[in-house]
Amino acid sequence: MAKSITSSSTAEYFAKNLQQVGFSSPTKAVLTTLKEAVDNSLDACESESILPELEVQITKVGAGSQKNTDQIQIIVEDNGPGIEPEDLAKVFGEYLASSKFGRGQCSRGQQGIGISAATTWAQLTSAEGVIVVSKTKKMRKAIRALVEVDIKGNKGLLKNKETFDWKKPHGVRVEFRMDGRLQLNGDGGLVTYLEGTTLVNPHLSLKYKLHDQDWVEVDRVSKDIPAIPPPTKPHPHILKLGEFIAFAVLFPKTALGAFMKSSFSRVSDTTLKDMVKNGLPKKLLTAPITKLSDADFKTAFSAIHKTELMAPSTKSVLVVGEESLSKSISRLGEIDFFSVVGRRPRICDFKPVVVEVALARFTNRGHEDEPVQLLRFANRVPLQFDKGACAITKAIESVNWKSYGLNQPKDSLPLGPYVFAVSVVSPFIKFKNASKETIDASDELVEEIRRSLMQAGQKLSRHIRKEDREADLERKLQHIEQFGPMLVEGLVRITKSSAARKKKAEEGLRKLLGRDAQAAEEDLKSAEKDLKKLKAKEAKLVASEEKSEAEA
Amino acid sequence: MKIRVNSDKRAKDIPKLSKELCERMLRDLEGARRPVLEATKCSLDNSLYNPKVGFLTPGEKMVRTELNVSSVQKMSRSIFMLEILLRNLEVGAVNTKRELYYIAKGEVKHNPHLRPLDFQEQDESDSIVDFICEMMEIYREEVNCFANDRGGQTYSQQLVVTERLPDGDKAVVDLGSLGTTPFQPKNRPQALTLKAKKKIDFCLIVESEGTANTLVTNGFTRRHNCILMGAQGVPSNGVRGWCKLIQEQLGVPMYFFGDLDAYTMQNIYRTLKAGSAASLIRNKDFSAPEVRFLGVLPEDVKKYDLHDYGVKENDPSEARALKKARDALENDPFFRDKKNKNLSDILKWLIKNKRRCEQQALFMVNPKDPTMPEQIIVEKIKKGIYV
Repeated sequence: MAKSITSSSTAEYFAKNLQQVGFSSPTKAVLTTLKEAVDNSLDACESESILPELEVQITKVGAGSQKNTDQIQIIVEDNGPGIEPEDLAKVFGEYLASSKFGRGQCSRGQQGIGISAATTWAQLTSAEGVIVVSKTKKMRKAIRALVEVDIKGNKGLLKNKETFDWKKPHGVRVEFRMDGRLQLNGDGGLVTYLEGTTLVNPHLSLKYKLHDQDWVEVDRVSKDIPAIPPPTKPHPHILKLGEFIAFAVLFPKTALGAFMKSSFSRVSDTTLKDMVKNGLPKKLLTAPITKLSDADFKTAFSAIHKTELMAPSTKSVLVVGEESLSKSISRLGEIDFFSVVGRRPRICDFKPVVVEVALARFTNRGHEDEPVQLLRFANRVPLQFDKGACAITKAIESVNWKSYGLNQPKDSLPLGPYVFAVSVVSPFIKFKNASKETIDASDELVEEIRRSLMQAGQKLSRHIRKEDREADLERKLQHIEQFGPMLVEGLVRITKSSAARKKKAEEGLRKLLGRDAQAAEEDLKSAEKDLKKLKAKEAKLVASEEKSEAEA
Repeated sequence: MKIRVNSDKRAKDIPKLSKELCERMLRDLEGARRPVLEATKCSLDNSLYNPKVGFLTPGEKMVRTELNVSSVQKMSRSIFMLEILLRNLEVGAVNTKRELYYIAKGEVKHNPHLRPLDFQEQDESDSIVDFICEMMEIYREEVNCFANDRGGQTYSQQLVVTERLPDGDKAVVDLGSLGTTPFQPKNRPQALTLKAKKKIDFCLIVESEGTANTLVTNGFTRRHNCILMGAQGVPSNGVRGWCKLIQEQLGVPMYFFGDLDAYTMQNIYRTLKAGSAASLIRNKDFSAPEVRFLGVLPEDVKKYDLHDYGVKENDPSEARALKKARDALENDPFFRDKKNKNLSDILKWLIKNKRRCEQQALFMVNPKDPTMPEQIIVEKIKKGIYV
């Protein structure tokens, strides 16, 4: 006889499989909790056009319940819109309760798993969920409550509810206590996460204190709140045939042409004409969807795929922007020079993707002989684990950095005191796992990232070459000073010439070599000028691209 | 202004030549003009071969060094080294390149003002010595810079050598009185005069000095009126100059006997006969165009059923020699010349068959008779079986 089949709740499933969502070790548990809390705060601020101000405090408060762990307190406080009291239990205690699921937006959170998983972890390891403080603009007093997960029923439970006067007009504060371990630096470190987050969020002001270290304050460098793009109409090229048909039959009475124009982005009357040129019988355009056979759909589908379309709008994909990224990267340390490239959106694997790259050399971090520090981002969230399998890492390793003046062991990251920040933004990023640690390395995406990196590398190499010329000039000047007089002295000794001749020859030599030095200096100046010209040209290009996109 | 030391005017008066050179450089500097030093380009692409001349001669290509910020170090180092060499010439001191490296270091030590001229490695000082020689078109021996004497151990019952010593004295060496002890030619053979006590029939140069020794011990020079010499691999300047001297002063037929392989053909025999691309300006005094290739010939392998073996193409040096042989057939004017067709045919045979045979293989023809190799060599000379 077959065993009885039981069903379990979503919460039950995740409680047993927390490793799938980033809680696979005590160290990762702390980082994931911080990450989920910060992601939620930033998404909330952006949704209400608030400039985010975050305060993070992570402290070791005692021994953990499990072997080799500490009890860690994680506090994240924001100035976001706040959460209505009736929603608190849902947000923090229920799985798959999200305002963002499947909307095709570039928000950080997508499914509504993360923060509930953090509550579960806290509950499992310290027998207490999360203490939440929330206040919306409308509320006179803030609410404080303990939220726990009812694992059997996948429901949030609100306990110890109380109200109090809070100095903030609105915002949320969460406080977790859980088993964990603190790792500050390195790929999976908390500092790395916080630095990465500030880098791709130029509008963020962050204040943080990690265990016994001092408070660190990072001010915002931009007052532009990135407007989260509205869920736009799909681009025809991202759909598969089945999806196209399923989508079309939702509008049975609409004519195919009208459906194409109203339901997709980048489809205009000209596009329809082009489709006809590409094999779509003209009469099909006016036929209502219900009249179309599968073969007709197929013809229409292949015609639209043969038709050249504008790339999806930048508006459907959120970008940090070259200017903001340039400003933001200076918050990581003392920059020697940097190179920032933001590519126009492309379709990779039928999805619009924007890749932005910032390469910067620092005078106070990193080392010549060590690999560059790589910061990976997906939808503006730092990725900190499983570096090797990530599309970004693969793309970096595939570039020949030697040709841009950097040292690089074979098939590895280049070396030097650099930070390589690569951000991939897309409404539909394909991750390798639910904890969003690695971007799936498809050939098209790797190629797109690789091209952005090469563009940035070319810019970087101009700086490096200029430096080489500077060093060259210095060496040449040194040579003149050192060897010139010795040459004259030797000649005078061999020819037994007078002091007067020596003086005259020295003067002649100075004139000659001075001319060389001058030429080298001019060479350097013209290299500098070229670099400036190039920068101006690029700035202009970026501006005109933005303009044309705005017009489009 | 261009400064070129004309080789025709070379009267071996190096001090005078140097002073002229320095005087011109100084004058250019006084006039704020850039002195330009020119040296013959010593490379295969600047090598010419005329069968009537018999050795590789330099073409028109020159290497120009103009004074500028990049060359000022090289020029001042050259003048610094030239001063040391001139002092050596003045007092009659001689040195090796290694010794010159240390002398230069000593100068810097005693005069810290010269520190920037210091040579970090011997390579650096060597290349400056070579540059001075190429620029003035002189041999390093002419500025008293000698390599150690290597190769050229010579045996003969008939030969008498007279050496002019630096102090003007003469030393006379009768090679016939040395028994089985060889005579070692100096690296400056131009100071030697040769005389034959009795008619000498031929001169045999054997690639391996060991085999030359064996032949002598077995009585080769007692049975034949000849000069027998061991080359010891790639011939040194001493060996090359010595062969030239024998050819010029005695006019006896000369034969080279060595391995049948691409390396021997190109690096040893060609250098002995026609000089090398690296020594274009010296080939006139350091090559003996009359030397014939006695063997081992491809036909000898067949005739005497000599043991040969395949070229190991995974051995880097053997693979390199084969590749060089292919290059030589295409680019080396010596092997491209019609007159040397028989030699280039051997190269082609080697490339095609990828076999090699060593000179010592003659000892297998009749293992019980130690004079067998001698008999074969003499037979080949008598019957004219050479290239």
